[in-house]
Amino acid sequence: MLVDLIQQLFNGLVIGSIYTLVALGLTIIFGILGIAHFAHGSVAMFGGYLTFFFIQSLGIGLFPSMALAMVAGALLGVILERVAYHPVRNAPPINAFIIALGLTLIIEKSNLILFGVDQVIIPTGFDRVFEIGGVTFPELRVYILVIAAVLVIALTILIQKTWMGMAVRAVAQNRPAAILMGINVDAVSMFVFGLSSALGVAAGVLVGALFAVAPGVSSGLVVKGFAVLILGGLGSIPGAIIGGLLLGVSETFATAFISSAYKDVIAFLLMIGVLLFKPEGLMRRSATR
Amino acid sequence: MNRFWKLAMAGALAITAPAAHAADKVLTIGVSDALSGGGAVYGEPQRRAINLAIEQINGNGGIAVGDDTYTLETIEYDDKADPTEATNVARKLIDRDGVKYLMGYCCSASTGAVASIIGREDVIMLVGTAGARAITAAGNDNVFRTRPPGDYTGAAAGRFIYDQGVRRLGVVATRDVALFTQYRDALVEAFKEAGGEVVAVETFGGQDRDMTAQLTKVRGLDPDGYFISGYVEQVAFAYRQAHELGITAPRFGFSGGSAEQFLAVASKEAMEGVWDLIAIEFNAEALGDNAKAYAKAYEERWGDYPTPNSAFAHDQVWVLKHALENAGTTELGAVKEALRNLTVPSEVVLEYLPVDGQMFDPKGQAYISNGAFQFHDGDWEFKTKLPSDAAGYSAYFQTIRK
Amino acid sequence: MIRYVLILAVIAGAIAFPHLLTSNYFIHLAILAMIWMIVAQGANVIQGYTGYVSIAQAGFMGIGAYSSALLSIEAGFPVWIAILVSPFFTAVASLIAGYPSLRVKGHYFAIVTLAMNMVIFIVLVNWIPVTGGESGLPGIPAPEPIVIGDFELNFLRRNTYYYLVLAALALVMLLVVAVVRSRVGLVLQAIRQNETLAEAAGVACWRYKLFSFVFSASLAGFAGALYAHYQAFISPAPFSVDHSLNAILAVILGGSGTLFGPLVGAALTVALPEVLRVAETYRLIIYGVGLVIVVIFLPRGLYPWLADLSRGLFGRKDGNGAEAHR
Repeated sequence: MLVDLIQQLFNGLVIGSIYTLVALGLTIIFGILGIAHFAHGSVAMFGGYLTFFFIQSLGIGLFPSMALAMVAGALLGVILERVAYHPVRNAPPINAFIIALGLTLIIEKSNLILFGVDQVIIPTGFDRVFEIGGVTFPELRVYILVIAAVLVIALTILIQKTWMGMAVRAVAQNRPAAILMGINVDAVSMFVFGLSSALGVAAGVLVGALFAVAPGVSSGLVVKGFAVLILGGLGSIPGAIIGGLLLGVSETFATAFISSAYKDVIAFLLMIGVLLFKPEGLMRRSATR
Repeated sequence: MNRFWKLAMAGALAITAPAAHAADKVLTIGVSDALSGGGAVYGEPQRRAINLAIEQINGNGGIAVGDDTYTLETIEYDDKADPTEATNVARKLIDRDGVKYLMGYCCSASTGAVASIIGREDVIMLVGTAGARAITAAGNDNVFRTRPPGDYTGAAAGRFIYDQGVRRLGVVATRDVALFTQYRDALVEAFKEAGGEVVAVETFGGQDRDMTAQLTKVRGLDPDGYFISGYVEQVAFAYRQAHELGITAPRFGFSGGSAEQFLAVASKEAMEGVWDLIAIEFNAEALGDNAKAYAKAYEERWGDYPTPNSAFAHDQVWVLKHALENAGTTELGAVKEALRNLTVPSEVVLEYLPVDGQMFDPKGQAYISNGAFQFHDGDWEFKTKLPSDAAGYSAYFQTIRK
Repeated sequence: MIRYVLILAVIAGAIAFPHLLTSNYFIHLAILAMIWMIVAQGANVIQGYTGYVSIAQAGFMGIGAYSSALLSIEAGFPVWIAILVSPFFTAVASLIAGYPSLRVKGHYFAIVTLAMNMVIFIVLVNWIPVTGGESGLPGIPAPEPIVIGDFELNFLRRNTYYYLVLAALALVMLLVVAVVRSRVGLVLQAIRQNETLAEAAGVACWRYKLFSFVFSASLAGFAGALYAHYQAFISPAPFSVDHSLNAILAVILGGSGTLFGPLVGAALTVALPEVLRVAETYRLIIYGVGLVIVVIFLPRGLYPWLADLSRGLFGRKDGNGAEAHR
């Protein structure tokens, strides 16, 4: 029983770490620009496909391919911000939301045309399985936890310790004041979109390695991401981390101890519960806002 | 001016000529199948098999119907294996394109939806891989199906698993596709009847690719055998994750995918020893010369080895050809009658078990043999036929409606 | 004046429509288009007039469709009763769901409604004993025929069902006009303009928002019931988030916060797939690009733009066009 409990906890943390990566990108964008960037999941899938493509056609390894795809994803993010979101920055928020829906359609379906309808599994070669006292730890899942942790730490350092990070925090806290202080808000917006999209691509690659990159995956991913945001508090980085892990673990435990049929409902029950009793989210807005 | 009229006359002749000669008529077949999404691994091969058979028939002079000779052509739509989309496609084919013969139909839910409204329409529907029982059990006289219902095979599979020495079975299966749930229920019932115990039935949904939590839960109950079923894309993940969880007990399954489809997801090691208990769909090892010729032609035409289920669609076309020839007309009532009285044509690939000497039973259902395949060293190996009672099942089948 | 002539012409055209066409398929499309117009008009109430995007319209349509189907199949209610009762089921569901979600604003609200739609979808797929799961519910009866002497209205006939849906659409339009022009409608539009200000003026905004949400969901439920008894078969697929997005698209394309915009938008979303006979994938990309372009360059939508154009053409400047009804 204890073995199963630990096994399920591990299963849940791995899924949760992916949710965290998705939610981090969403939460930074929301914190700075107040945009619910719906197309984030499609960007993540785009990155996953691209990584697969690099591995297959350039013959380079997983990590170089992933890094290249993250750069490409960051560029895509910057372009989206410039072309689509920037023109409506002063319009009512509903406009940005509709734009996000339009972008989702465009990117999602472009993925279909570029990469086909078949599911794509990113080959890693990490096939070993470690076992400690009956609990099995597949090599790939362990690496996913590690990669997610490294990215989260890197992001925290970037936001907390660098000049650009300081500018980002300043804009999040008080946009007019930041402008008065001479911070280039346009540059910050582009930076934030690039950074978030790169994180999203990383999440897409991990999903593609552990499961598959395929049509229909992105919407599930982005909705889980938003559930995490509501759980943790919109715009909060610690909230995204805690919320993501919490969501992953509760889904897994729900499958194990309640019913596998309604595991996806758990996210929404948690969300509605939080809205009712703690509408500002489990963690108070901090880091970016 | 003169030249213009000559050209126009020639053009008009070219257009009207086929209709003028009794020799060259065209019969349009509406194809509705999953060409994208999760069902495409079944639907696209069916589409290809139908086109292959049509090219062969057309190439050999078409179909002699009474005094006329027909060639076949298709109008094809993607129903995405989705019930609503499939009913829309049926509307388009019937109302807009005026098609009288429908073919394809790989997936249970979408086909079930069309079958539920098709009784009112003036068409003949030939169903391929879709295995939900109600499609033919409902008793519409214009629906014919080459694949046997899921529970016909499931019962045989349940006894087989018990005979393999399994006593405590853990089930991880897709939740909501009638083909799989009916198969699973019949399997569980037969397994219990033989004296086995089912320790757990865990399910997963249409988009899930992570069955780790379900498998961990079942692993904790320590069964001595697993049964895993669903569409290939998902089931392959379950085998991969079972391997990662260190599960070594025998794994039996029902999904009917090719080795390539499984190996795209799971490693050879993860798949080693896995059983697939299915109606014997296309398999060159288990079937005769027709199957080998079909495999060769399919590979030449499409550059891929045929998937197991594609043969259901291939056989539909030949069935229709013979029914049209026997009827001597394209009038639907006569063709229905001819289908009902059809003996198994010689060109079909699969091994049909006739009931009362006829390919289709009174509800338009055909039966084939069941078999056990095992994954070994990167490919499926045919192991044995499962004892199957087509006449007995058909008698029971006539008594149910869904 | 021209405006009323136009409206009358459209109504006359709609009534004559089935007789002008020989193909059943176009009548089929027209029925679907009108059902979508009802859904879009519902979305318009919450999105266009109140300023809150709800991504749950298709889900509520599903609740209406399934409850009406189940009432007639399982509980044996006459179909007419089932169709009329199902919007109330939807209203109750949306009341329960709306109460917690309306505590939040803007994007939060949109995301919560999206989650709601997903929950509805998951329940439709997984509550197999009741909903039949992914395989859906077959054999949904059409409304009972109406017999007056020798004259029979048989709703299995597509033409007859066309007029039923047309009448339903007219009823919905009258209801929406009544609401929008009432004091409630004015408050809703005040909330859209500036909720804080409305609140400060002593309006209990949440009540009005809840009303707007429940009203729009009920319209979707009504449309769902009409859909179920028309198609004779329902499965969860048409009630997914994608189709909620379609309703939003219809409102935005046509012109949100106008009475006729959503009708134009819904007609377009049904007609475009037939006109743009390219692969669906490309079509959806065109949709996406269209959405972005409309929001950036025509933020008021097509209908007000067309109305302006036609005013320009007819040389009228009295402002009695779409603008007056915003």
